[in-house]
Amino acid sequence: MAYSELVKNFNKIRDYMREFYVYGFRSREEFTKKSARSYDDERRRMESWLGDYMRFRQTADGKNVFLSIDSRVSRHNPFYKAWKTKSFTDGDITLHFILFDILHDTEISMTLSEITECMDDYLCDFAKPKMFDESTVRKKLKEYVEEGILLSEKQGKTVFYRRAQQTPLCDADVLDFFSEVAPCGVVGSYLLDKQDCRSDRFSFKHHYITGAMDSEILCSLFQAMQEKRFVTLEIAHRAHAHITESRVAPLRVMMSVQNGRQYLMAYTRRYRRMISTRLDNILSVKTGEVCADFDAHRQRLDEMMPHMWGVSTQSLSGEHLEQVSFTIRYADDERHIPKRLEREKRCGTIEQIDANTCRFTAEVYDAAELIPWMRTFLCRITEYSFSNPALQKRFTEDIQAMYRLYGIEEGGCT
Amino acid sequence: MIFSELYSAYYNTVARILTAAIEQPLEKKELRTIIEETAFGESILNIEPALCGERWQLLHKDGTTSLRHTPTMPLTTLQKRWLKAISLDARIRLFTDDFPALDDVEPLFTADDFCVFDRYTDGDAFEDAAYINNFRTILDALRNRYPLSITMITPNGNEKHFHVMPKSLEYSEKDDKFRLITSGCRFSTIINLGRIVSCERFEGSFSVQPSENARPHTLEVELTDERNALERVLLHFAHFEKEVERLDEKHYMLRMQYDKNDETELVIRILSFGPLVRVTSPQSFVELIRQRLIRQMQCGERGDREDSIPQLSAQNTAADNKSEESKP
Repeated sequence: MAYSELVKNFNKIRDYMREFYVYGFRSREEFTKKSARSYDDERRRMESWLGDYMRFRQTADGKNVFLSIDSRVSRHNPFYKAWKTKSFTDGDITLHFILFDILHDTEISMTLSEITECMDDYLCDFAKPKMFDESTVRKKLKEYVEEGILLSEKQGKTVFYRRAQQTPLCDADVLDFFSEVAPCGVVGSYLLDKQDCRSDRFSFKHHYITGAMDSEILCSLFQAMQEKRFVTLEIAHRAHAHITESRVAPLRVMMSVQNGRQYLMAYTRRYRRMISTRLDNILSVKTGEVCADFDAHRQRLDEMMPHMWGVSTQSLSGEHLEQVSFTIRYADDERHIPKRLEREKRCGTIEQIDANTCRFTAEVYDAAELIPWMRTFLCRITEYSFSNPALQKRFTEDIQAMYRLYGIEEGGCT
Repeated sequence: MIFSELYSAYYNTVARILTAAIEQPLEKKELRTIIEETAFGESILNIEPALCGERWQLLHKDGTTSLRHTPTMPLTTLQKRWLKAISLDARIRLFTDDFPALDDVEPLFTADDFCVFDRYTDGDAFEDAAYINNFRTILDALRNRYPLSITMITPNGNEKHFHVMPKSLEYSEKDDKFRLITSGCRFSTIINLGRIVSCERFEGSFSVQPSENARPHTLEVELTDERNALERVLLHFAHFEKEVERLDEKHYMLRMQYDKNDETELVIRILSFGPLVRVTSPQSFVELIRQRLIRQMQCGERGDREDSIPQLSAQNTAADNKSEESKP
């Protein structure tokens, strides 16, 4: 098939975009084990959509292509462009514009035959006019009714079609802001495209844009949650390079604003427990039947959340709950430190030991999740304690390893 | 369906082309300009021949169209449901009290359906009337490009008054705070909205001094791919302009551009990865990490001991005066 700038299946481009943006060190040869042509096509597409952000580097292994984006500067998520590349047929686009020209007012209500007949008037002046039969037009009308842009009304045995009421668009600044910070923000970007001017008055710091690639998955999960339905997930296990299917009740999406990852918290009937799955590992979502116990499962998740630091609901140690605590010291002129601890403590508690010392304590399903955060207090930690001995050992050994890494020996310097 | 041609750049481009063709016959040059402005780099190779070659039978050879009305499309159910969802967000009140009524629309998601679990809890007071008022004044100043007279409380508790020209509003999802980026003021170019006491249009004469963009600094970090560090580190620092180089099967070099003002924050973010990352350049940054580790060693940290807390020397604790809080 000839190369096209547009794509039919988003999943393929989703993988390439993540690879070029997050990693970006693999050469063409590493990608082309499967298909050199596929790599070349995807790279060319991305250059067409995101050319401003494409970078190249020549290495001994070959030429590397990568995407380098400072999301604090870009203002609009560049990955939304990829969602505006769906392919279509010549008939689809011709029919679309003629159809809405015929049904240009909400007062106009027409049958399938009347619409089909009207179409010929639009096409007859072309050298080789297209002929749309009723079944093609019916299919398109049905699709547009499902999308909510057309309404159908039955009068007797006849179905009439008319355009849906126009909803007033909100301010461009609202769309500009929420398209970057709200879940499924790409929908806001679609709405912005309807407006003549873009505001560009907002910029975003600590802004993770990779979640945009998982918008369809996220949207499907939200729809299933709203209807309280089971879903069947197709999940890629990248480490073992295989795909599994899992039937779960989707309960909540957990989002991190410190690494951009998104996880689905779900109940699996098979294992009778909560699981978390990264959205970027989910390949597809199939909505199933209504889950009668949805509210009970969600309530159970609500009860668990005071013991979840991140998304883990079980520890490697097998203990139901693990305890972790650490103590920090700070100077009189470092009042920002306890403030920082307070704002970042999540489900933990803080105890003031004296004017310059406080202790953080938490009881969580998986204390390993706290370790990276605890390390951010290095230079002030005077005590720490994990109920899980393996974590105690790991934390201690990691600090020792960091000393060695930077050439620091006992006595404080090399 | 989110991935649909209804939202595609091609449909939007053709809508603009047809809008122009309804007004008057469209010249090729104008057609190409619209494509270049609205679609992608290579779209001109597809859209122009498809329209001019009558594969898409919407535009005649003379640049006219059979369409009689400006192309419009009602909002899809998905778009309405998303709008309904954001209308439930507390931050919407920063912009308006009159959001379009969507009474018969189900939200795409509600606060029960998702949770941001690692956002800092001292974010701005988005529902506070004074905050909303300041936000709206700033937004109006940005729209209409006029200077502001601002009074704010500094981190030290002092009141400061100054005039600025607003450039943009910056929002941090992690901090849950807005900051006003300004020019024309020696006191501060970034102002936390949460610290603003009053904010109004400045009516006096005001000249904007051209501000120089801060030169980005480059941080070089060597990472060891154990415990899935490669993926964790690269996702964590994904929002920076960066470049990754593979050194061998297990080691990688990450180079990223950063703002010097955010150096302290970056130091603690690097520390969070423990021994799996090592800063190699610049040397001044390496020294910041080393100093923290030296002070940690002097803390005499002890694991799993319940006895008394060791005393720190004043020198140890006072050495780190640089705030880990956000800028004022």
